[in-house]
Amino acid sequence: MPAAEASEQSRGGASSVSYQGATKRYGDSSAPAVDHLDLEVEAGEICVLVGPSGCGKTTSMRMVNRMIELSEGDILIGGESVKKQDGARLRREIGYVIQQVGLFPHRTIAQNIATVPQLLGWDKERIRARTSELLDLIGLDPDLADRYPVQLSGGQQQRVGVARGLAVDPPVMLMDEPFGAVDPINRERLQNEFLRLQAEIRKTILFVTHDIDEAIKMGDRIAIMKQHGRVEQYATPAEILMAPANEFVEDFVGADRALKRLSLLRVGDIDLWRAPNARPGQSTAEVRAELAAPDVEVPYALLVDADERPQGWLTQRDLAGDTVPATADAPLGPLLETGDVMRDALADLLQGESMYAAVVDHDGRIVGILSVEIISEFLASSDAKIDERGAVERPHGPDRASEIAADE
Amino acid sequence: MNSPLLAMPLAAVGQVEEGFFHERTGETLPCQAHPSHLFCWDWAAENINRYGTPTLQQFELVIISVVIGFIVAFAFALLAHRYHLLEWPLLAGTGVIFAVPSLAFFLLLLPITGRGRETAIIALSAYTLQIIFRNIMSGLANVPESTKDAARGMGLSDRQILWKVELPLAVPEIVGGLRIATVSTVAIATLAVFAHAGGLGTQIYGQGNLTFPTSIIIAGTIAILMALTFDAVLLTVQRLITPWRRAASQAAA
Repeated sequence: MPAAEASEQSRGGASSVSYQGATKRYGDSSAPAVDHLDLEVEAGEICVLVGPSGCGKTTSMRMVNRMIELSEGDILIGGESVKKQDGARLRREIGYVIQQVGLFPHRTIAQNIATVPQLLGWDKERIRARTSELLDLIGLDPDLADRYPVQLSGGQQQRVGVARGLAVDPPVMLMDEPFGAVDPINRERLQNEFLRLQAEIRKTILFVTHDIDEAIKMGDRIAIMKQHGRVEQYATPAEILMAPANEFVEDFVGADRALKRLSLLRVGDIDLWRAPNARPGQSTAEVRAELAAPDVEVPYALLVDADERPQGWLTQRDLAGDTVPATADAPLGPLLETGDVMRDALADLLQGESMYAAVVDHDGRIVGILSVEIISEFLASSDAKIDERGAVERPHGPDRASEIAADE
Repeated sequence: MNSPLLAMPLAAVGQVEEGFFHERTGETLPCQAHPSHLFCWDWAAENINRYGTPTLQQFELVIISVVIGFIVAFAFALLAHRYHLLEWPLLAGTGVIFAVPSLAFFLLLLPITGRGRETAIIALSAYTLQIIFRNIMSGLANVPESTKDAARGMGLSDRQILWKVELPLAVPEIVGGLRIATVSTVAIATLAVFAHAGGLGTQIYGQGNLTFPTSIIIAGTIAILMALTFDAVLLTVQRLITPWRRAASQAAA
């Protein structure tokens, strides 16, 4: 394809989107679906609208291309009101990708991608060039161009959906749970692919999801919505994780926040427990005395070799004789290193279905015992911190509640 | 009778019409003498020529009636698609017509439209309406919401969505309706003889034929072959214009 044409096609760039008191009311019902939404989305950013179902996030998104007409207020795209144009004409200039993909079953992949270019009357050669460019962009085999959607996997269909949305290089893309219908592994892959793609194309994207993890991953900014499209917090993912604006946001981000901290923590960073260590040939009476001590943290004795490398757990039967045997009756179970990420360590514990895991240093010497209990205590204590902050902010709580009450 | 569509074939078969109703062969073959004899091969071999014109008449009746029925039902469907309030009355109306006993329908029309092909065609087309209309509507209703939503979201107008997305996707069901309508019209068109419109019915209900199974069997066999042919042709057409369906069944296999 001639380079000149390529640069012309990617000239589209991105536009800002600005909600100005955007309101949607159905019939005469007193509670609007979206109530005076003000939101500024900067050009080239992914803005994720996230919230519980019925919060008005999809309605807010669909007002941009007037799939849902505004009752009040306005939305500006690149400074231009969406109300200025005919709805269908407006929609051709805005990319649209939905969860169910909605590919046309009776048209080939290439024809699907060419939908909007055809509506805009592009000539055949330009459409052909753009289609192959897009197939390349989404990493789809050009041989698939003449297949029908039903012959593609779910993930491939979703990629074609994205390509179709990008066909005329629109300045704004609307994506409604675009990866919601694919399995978790493919979703992860599609998300990563899309982020790489976005780094290249830098579109303004309104992205709707109910999944806070996806929001944190995909968003440059996240708008957390409550009912009636009320934005509770509009901030970067880091800000939302570090400083939730209020209880609602906190709840919505929820336990996930604490779990995320586990990814930042290593096993060695935490105070581990100690189990009574026993060496082969040691007197079992000593070991039993240690186990009977009132401050014992782990009620089992760990068999270690001469280099303090853990070998296994000693059972009652092992300790029935006079001296500690050379092999332990119970296997060691998961073995962790101090450098392991806490989240993986937890996974190991849960997967091994064991209460305790021995933690060793780089030389394989025992340094302590990690238990599910230690991790849950850690999570509880970080929850406690969140609660403290919540308590500090609580004075605002009643005001907010009365605001909402006054509105309804 | 002044429609150019009807004039040509009528002229071609007009003069034989009366004759078929009464005429039988002059001589009596041995096998004809026994009413218990199911099929008289000798008679069949000698008289096979007399089925040519009725077959042609039948063929024309079916084609013209189904085409008219399809045009009317399609118009109804477009109306009902645009104004949903009309769907129920149209469904009920065509349903009532469909429920009228076919022989009674022909006889009831006679005082109004007189004898002849028009009467037969009116009745036969009216019968196809319900089946074709219902199938078009269900074909349109079965287009996935997400497909329509995507179409609208990409900026197709309502008219473009109908003609470029909904109708193409409804083709299998529309053709399905046409197939049923055509096959049943082949059967009902044998009654056109009561409107003096000719057709294979002349060889079934014509005088003396009812006690002579050979003619009924020949006419019936021709009707069945005709129905099967129409069905096969329509099915082939549908397969040719819906290549994505083949892709779907291959993907499923």
